[in-house]
Amino acid sequence: MNFSIMLDKEKCKGCTNCMRRCPTQAIRLIDEKAFINNSKCIHCGECIKICPYDAYTPESIEWNEEMNYSPYKCKIAIISTPTYGQFPKGTSICNVQNSIKKLGFDFVYDASWSAELVSKAINRKINEVKDIRPFISTNCPATVRLIKSRYPSLMDNLIYIKEPMVIGAMLARERAKSIFNLKDEEIGVFYISPCPAKLLAVTDPIGDYHSSVDWVIPLNTIFGDLYREIKKDDISCSYPALNGLRWGVAGGQSESANLTNYISVHGMENIIHILDEIENGNLNNVDYVEALACVEGCVGGSFNVVNPYIAKNNIEYIIKNAGDNFNIEDLDKFDEMYDSGIFKFKLKAEDNPIKFNMKEAVIKNEKIMEINALLPGLDCGSCGAPTCYAHAEDVYNNQAELYDCIVLRAKNK
Amino acid sequence: MTDKLLIRYSYNIAANDFIAAGKGSSSIKNTLKSMGIDASTIRRIAIISYEAEINLVIHSYGGMLHCDLYENKIDIITEDKGPGIENIDLALTEGYSTATESVRELGFGAGMGLPNMKKYSDDFDIASSREGTFIKITVLLQEV
Ligand SMILES: Nc1ncnc2c1ncn2[C@@H]1O[C@H](COP(=O)(O)OP(=O)(O)OP(=O)(O)O)[C@@H](O)[C@H]1O
Ligand SMILES: [Mg+2]
Repeated sequence: MNFSIMLDKEKCKGCTNCMRRCPTQAIRLIDEKAFINNSKCIHCGECIKICPYDAYTPESIEWNEEMNYSPYKCKIAIISTPTYGQFPKGTSICNVQNSIKKLGFDFVYDASWSAELVSKAINRKINEVKDIRPFISTNCPATVRLIKSRYPSLMDNLIYIKEPMVIGAMLARERAKSIFNLKDEEIGVFYISPCPAKLLAVTDPIGDYHSSVDWVIPLNTIFGDLYREIKKDDISCSYPALNGLRWGVAGGQSESANLTNYISVHGMENIIHILDEIENGNLNNVDYVEALACVEGCVGGSFNVVNPYIAKNNIEYIIKNAGDNFNIEDLDKFDEMYDSGIFKFKLKAEDNPIKFNMKEAVIKNEKIMEINALLPGLDCGSCGAPTCYAHAEDVYNNQAELYDCIVLRAKNK
Repeated sequence: MTDKLLIRYSYNIAANDFIAAGKGSSSIKNTLKSMGIDASTIRRIAIISYEAEINLVIHSYGGMLHCDLYENKIDIITEDKGPGIENIDLALTEGYSTATESVRELGFGAGMGLPNMKKYSDDFDIASSREGTFIKITVLLQEV
């Protein structure tokens, strides 16, 4: 499985919107079409959201075909927390779960259950480890990658608690193994995802663990099928955990973890401001920073169907009106699980940011500045890079020609 | 080997030129940023070089602002052409300022420049005579 954000070249007009928006300057225009540099891409989905021509799409899997030929004896769907928020108010939880099952799954696992456990783990770690402040959430893969590439000094502030998708997949897999007496390779775990960053977290996780997720299904690619299947029949099911469900919305993980001294920040630009503040040492008195790349949190992910504010309102409605219809799984096993260390993770060697070397930086900067001095400094984007400086960098790295700059070309005529 | 100067960025700072004031330190900040130096070091350097530059504009007959990069530290240096600081201990006291009323109206003259430069430094050197003042402030790079 090699996921990336796909560009429909027919639809791309070469307008530079995505190139200017990208927080890691990973996009260039080559022959008037956008091109994403995968090594710089953090899969935040900003390009998908800003593109006026809907040229970006998640690489979606051939869903039904995949199911028919799949080698798995047991297929599990993990329902991400924003999922319920996509359906109109009053839609029964059980009907949503059932319509997901009807796609061809043997059972569903609700990510709110693992989220509830992860919340407890976060609370526990914050209370145990007092000399790191603030801790930064490791739930949003785009944020973690942003920190790795732009704020390497903050890697030590990450809390290194596995996210609900990972813990949920692990628990669901164990359950299938014991109930159906199956081997690992006979079980397929499918995560229904609100965002492209989760794809990356599965194929290329930052951390020393293998994700138990086998496939990631973009929520919007199956929504039509789900919606059509929703019936009003009265069926029973295993309800979500209400605190866990809050994880779909910004601030939800902190509340769910029972924290009082936290910052909930969402949206790429806002995150960058807060990470600057942390790096400047101004937030050392805050316990936890929940930084989510999408506006309003995971409900704002680019694979969602409805507007994030509506989804948030829908989820809050579900929580407030749940009554007795909730369910918390495995809570009694939490202490044992925590002590066994399943929640925690470390970086693998290649996850560590590259060490800063002043000598190399000086030499490189001198060469780039020499090139930059030749450029007009208009940041017009016509060369296909977001700024003149980025173009100078590309020229230095042999990824572009100096005379891709149209102003220079015009002058030399 | 670690104390070999890698590069020096220099800026000529004119006395009483309030329009250009701040340009040198802002250029230093942008350069360090594009080189990939961590933000907290950049912030310290930005504060130090800005205060140093403004002091040259307000109090001196003009001089030079330098930023020296080494493998594991950054030095900010100012050298000016006088008139010198009569009492260095006094000048380093928080709130002490000889700034004129007209300069204070521009928002300077709180007497916090030198104390803050010292506060954000790992090493602070100052020497002064009527011929001029020399200040060298060192910030060590953080081990990432
Ligand atoms: N380069 C210099 N040449 C001569 N005198 C100086 C120089 N730099 C500082 N001084 C003297 O030291 C005093 C204190 O400097 P400091 O930077 O702390 O305060 P300030 O410049 O007066 O006010 P602020 O920096 O808060 O705007 C100045 O008022 C001035 O008398
Ligand atoms: Mg001053």
